[in-house]
Amino acid sequence: MTLAKIERLDRLVEAGVRARHAESGSLWRQSLRRMRRSPMAISGAIIVALFLLVAILGPWIAPYSPTAQTWGGEVFLNRNVFPGPRPENWFGLDHLGRDMFSRMIVGARQTMLVGVVATLIGFAAGALVGGLAAAAGTFGGRWGGRVEAVIMRAVDVALAIPMLLLALSVAALLGPSLSTVMIAVGVAQIPIFARLLRGSMLAQAHSDYVLAAVSLGVPKHRIVLSHIFPNSLGPVIVQATLVLATAIIEAAALSYLGLGNPDPGTPEWGTMLADAQRFLSSAPQLAIYPAVGIIITALGFTLLGEAMRESLDPRLRRQS
Amino acid sequence: MSTDIEQRTLLDVKDLEVHFPIRSGVVVERTVGHVRAVDGVSLTIDAGRTYGLVGESGCGKTTLGRAVLRLEEPTAGSVWLDSTDVTALRSERLRRFRSKMQMVFQDPLGSLNPRHNVEMLLAEPLKVHGVGSKAERRRLATETLDAVGLPVSVMERYPHEFSGGQRQRLGIARALMLRPDLIVCDEPVSALDVSIQAQVMNLLDELQGEFGLTYLVIAHDLAVVRHLSDRVGVMYLGKLVEEADSEAIYERPRHPYTKALLSAVPQPDPDIEAGRERIILKGDLPSPANPPSGCRFRTRCPWAQDVCAEEAPVWREAADGHKVACHFDF
Amino acid sequence: MALLEVEDLRVAFGDTTAVDGVDFHVDQGRVTGLVGESGCGKSVTSLAVMGLLPRRGVTVSGTARFEGVDLLSLPRADMRRRRGSDLAMVFQDPLSSLNPVVQIGRQITEVLERHRGLRGEAARKEAEDLLDRVGIPDPRRRLGEYPHQLSGGMRQRVLIAIAVACAPRLLIADEPTTALDVTIQAQILELLKDLVDAEGTALLMITHDLGVVAGLCDEVNVLYSGRVVESASARDLFARPTHPYTVGLLGSIPRLDLPIDEPLEPIRGSIADVIRWKDGCAFAPRCDRVAEPCVDGEPPLIGTAHAHRCVMAEETV
Repeated sequence: MTLAKIERLDRLVEAGVRARHAESGSLWRQSLRRMRRSPMAISGAIIVALFLLVAILGPWIAPYSPTAQTWGGEVFLNRNVFPGPRPENWFGLDHLGRDMFSRMIVGARQTMLVGVVATLIGFAAGALVGGLAAAAGTFGGRWGGRVEAVIMRAVDVALAIPMLLLALSVAALLGPSLSTVMIAVGVAQIPIFARLLRGSMLAQAHSDYVLAAVSLGVPKHRIVLSHIFPNSLGPVIVQATLVLATAIIEAAALSYLGLGNPDPGTPEWGTMLADAQRFLSSAPQLAIYPAVGIIITALGFTLLGEAMRESLDPRLRRQS
Repeated sequence: MSTDIEQRTLLDVKDLEVHFPIRSGVVVERTVGHVRAVDGVSLTIDAGRTYGLVGESGCGKTTLGRAVLRLEEPTAGSVWLDSTDVTALRSERLRRFRSKMQMVFQDPLGSLNPRHNVEMLLAEPLKVHGVGSKAERRRLATETLDAVGLPVSVMERYPHEFSGGQRQRLGIARALMLRPDLIVCDEPVSALDVSIQAQVMNLLDELQGEFGLTYLVIAHDLAVVRHLSDRVGVMYLGKLVEEADSEAIYERPRHPYTKALLSAVPQPDPDIEAGRERIILKGDLPSPANPPSGCRFRTRCPWAQDVCAEEAPVWREAADGHKVACHFDF
Repeated sequence: MALLEVEDLRVAFGDTTAVDGVDFHVDQGRVTGLVGESGCGKSVTSLAVMGLLPRRGVTVSGTARFEGVDLLSLPRADMRRRRGSDLAMVFQDPLSSLNPVVQIGRQITEVLERHRGLRGEAARKEAEDLLDRVGIPDPRRRLGEYPHQLSGGMRQRVLIAIAVACAPRLLIADEPTTALDVTIQAQILELLKDLVDAEGTALLMITHDLGVVAGLCDEVNVLYSGRVVESASARDLFARPTHPYTVGLLGSIPRLDLPIDEPLEPIRGSIADVIRWKDGCAFAPRCDRVAEPCVDGEPPLIGTAHAHRCVMAEETV
C-alpha cells in the first residue's frame, strides 16, 4: 500500500462524508434546514414576519393617529360615501373620517396579541391536560387509567360543543373586553390541544426507545418528561401555528359580534369589520381591508404550519 | 463462547407463563380468552454463557425475553437472577435492580431516542442510577464507545446520523453502560445488512469475554443462533420443544419441528441446496389463543400419530443434556 | 436472444444516484438473481424495468429490451398493457400490495378481465384454479375472503396467483420471502421453483439472501452501490467468488454446514464508506485488497461468462 494511494482514497471518502454531513445536527435543526428550502415555508414566513413587524411597530409607522378624525367634515358632508384611496390616505377614510391605512396598521397589534395569547392559553392548558392524561394512562396503573378516562371524556364533551358557541359563552360570562376574547378563544382550543398531545404521547409511549428507557431503570416521571414529551411536541407545534390562524379569525368574529374591546380608541380588525357592516353597500372597501388583512395573516400562519408539518413528518425524514 | 470452568447458574426461569387477555365487547369489556404467549417455560443459563432461543414469529420468544426483564408482567412462574426473584420485585427495588439486566433491541433506530445525542444516550442510565459525577460518566461513556468500536468524536451526534450497524453498536454500548450481568438480545442482527450482521455478531462475542456477560439471544435465524450460542432452545407456540447444546441440536435434531426448521434454512451453496431433502411443513402456525390438544405441533407434523392429539408429550431428557418434548425418538 | 436485456441502466432521484449503470440479462425459463444489500439499487432496478417509478424528480436512462422492445421508452399506456400480461411483479410486503377492502377473488378476476377478457363465472373458475395452483387449500371459500383474514404466507401465495394469472413471460420477485418465517419461506420458494419449471416463466429474483440465491437461481448478479460487481452462473459464483465484495458477503454469513467455531469474516465499515464509481471502485474504502489501481478511475467489467469488476482480482487470487 503506497502512501499516495491511501491519501487519494481518504480524500474521496471524505468528500462523500462531507456531502452527507450537510444533513447532520439535531432533528429540530434538520427540520429548520428543510423548511428553508420549501417555498411554502418561505412565503408563510414572509407574511408572518411582515405582520409581526407591523404589529410591533404599528404606532410608529402609521402615517396618522388611528383615532384622529382629521377628515371628519369631508365624510359627514357626503353622508355614507367616503373617499376611497387617494394620495394622502392610501386606503381612504372610514365613517368617522379616520385614516383607514393607519387604523389597519395599528389594529394589527391587537389582532396579533389576541391570536398569540389565545393560542398560548390553549396550548399551555391543553398540553397540561393532555399530558397529564397520557402520563396517567401510561404509567399510573389501574387508577391512572381511570383518571385518564375521566379527563378524556370531559375533553370529548368539550370538543362536541361548537367552538364559537363555547367562546361565546365564556365571553358572555366575563363581559366584553380584549382579555375576554383572548380567554374565550384560548379556552375553546384547549380540548383540541389536549387530544392531540395525548394521542401523540400515547404513540410515543409504545415506541422501542421508551421500552429501552424502562429497561434501563429510568424513573417514570423522567421517561414522560425527557423521552415521551419532547418527541410528542412536533404535531402539537404544527397545530399551534394552524390554531393561530383560526384564533385570529375567531377573535375577529367575537369582536365582530361586539364581544371584543369596547374602547373605540383602539382599532382592531374584527371591530373594524363589524363597524363597516353598516356601509357595506356604499363603501365596501371598509370591510374589504380588514377582511383581507385577516385572511392574509391567517394564510401566512397556515402556510407556515403546513410547511412545518411537512418538515417534521417522520416519513419524509426517513427518506433523507 | 467462553471457556469458564466455573459453572454457576446466573439465570433460572421456572415455569414462566405470560398470558394476555383477549378483551371483547362494545360498552363493557369482558375477557373472552387468553393468548398464551408463553405457556410454561423453564430454562437456566450459566454465567458467562449464551443461550439462544429460536422460533418463528408468534412463538412467544420475544415475550419470554421481555418477561425475564420484567418488561412484561408474568402471569405465573418465577425468574431468578443470581439469588433474586425478579418477579417478586416491586417498583423502586425493581427499578434499581434493572442495572443488572439489560436489553439490546432489534430496531437500532427505534430504540434510541431521536432527540438525544450519543452523550445523553450513554449518560442517562448512569445518571438515573446515581453513578459517578458528570466527568466520570463521560469517561465511562468514552470507554464503552471504544469497547464497541466507535470513536469518541461521535459524542455530540444524533442517532439518525449513523448507519444501521453503528446504531446497533450504540444500542449495545448503552446496554453495557451499567456493566450488567445479563443482556437479553432480541433479534440483535436481523434488521442489519448481511455484511454488518457479522460485525455485530463478532462484537457481541468479544464483549462477552471482555465484560463477563451472559446472553439470552432471541432470533429467528438458526444460523445466527448457532453461531452465537452455547445452548439452544427451540420454541413453538409458547413452549420449548427441544433444548440442547448448540453443537448437538444442529448435529442431531430430535424434535420434528427442529428438523423442519433446519431443513428450511437456505444455505449459500448450490450443491447443498440441490442435494438436500426439505421437510416442507404444511399450513400455518395455529392461534396461540387456542392451541391444538396434546402436542401443539401435531397439526403440522409430518409424523403425527393418534397419541399426539390425546396426550401432551412430556419434557424429557432424550440424551445427556438433550431435552425434547416429543412422544417419539427420531 | 435474452428475454430481457438491461443495458447501462441509470436511475437518479434528484441528485442522488440509486442505479449507476447496471447491465444484466434474463433468459427464457431461467432464474436470474439480483443480489445485494440495502441501498445497492436492486429494487430500484426492478421498479425501473416495470415502469413503476414516479415520473417526477426521477431520471431514468439506458435501455431495458424485452424481446427486442425497449420498455423504458414505451408510452405509459403500452407499458400498462404489458404489465400484468408480459411482465408481472411480486413484492416483499404482501399485505400492503393487496387492497385491504376488496375480496381476494375480486382482486384476481380484475386482472383476468383486464388482460384476458374473462368475465363472470369463467373468471371465477379461473381464479379458483389459480389459487389451487399456488397451493391455497379450499380456494372457493378463500375467494370471498379479505386480505387480513389470510396469514402472511397465504397472502404471498395470493400475490403470486395474481402475478401468474396471465401467464407472464417474466416474473419479477422483489424479496418475496423476506417478511416470512423460515418454514413459510421454504413453501414459497418451492412454489416459485415449481412455477418456473412448469410454465417456463423467466424469474428475476431480487434478494439479499445468498442462501435463497443458491437454492433458486441459475445466474447471479451481485450489485454494489448501483452497479453489478460480479455476474456468473450460481454454481460458478459460489465455487469461485472473485470480487472482494462477494467474497466478503460469503464470509459474513454464519453457516450451518461449517464447524460451529468457524469465525466470521465481516466486511469492515458500512455502505456509507463509498466513493463514486467514476473515481474508482466504490467498494475500495471497505476492501482489504485495495491498491493503487483501485482508485484510478472507473473499473471495467472483466470477463464474459464469469464477469467481475475488480482490477486486482488476477493479481491477488
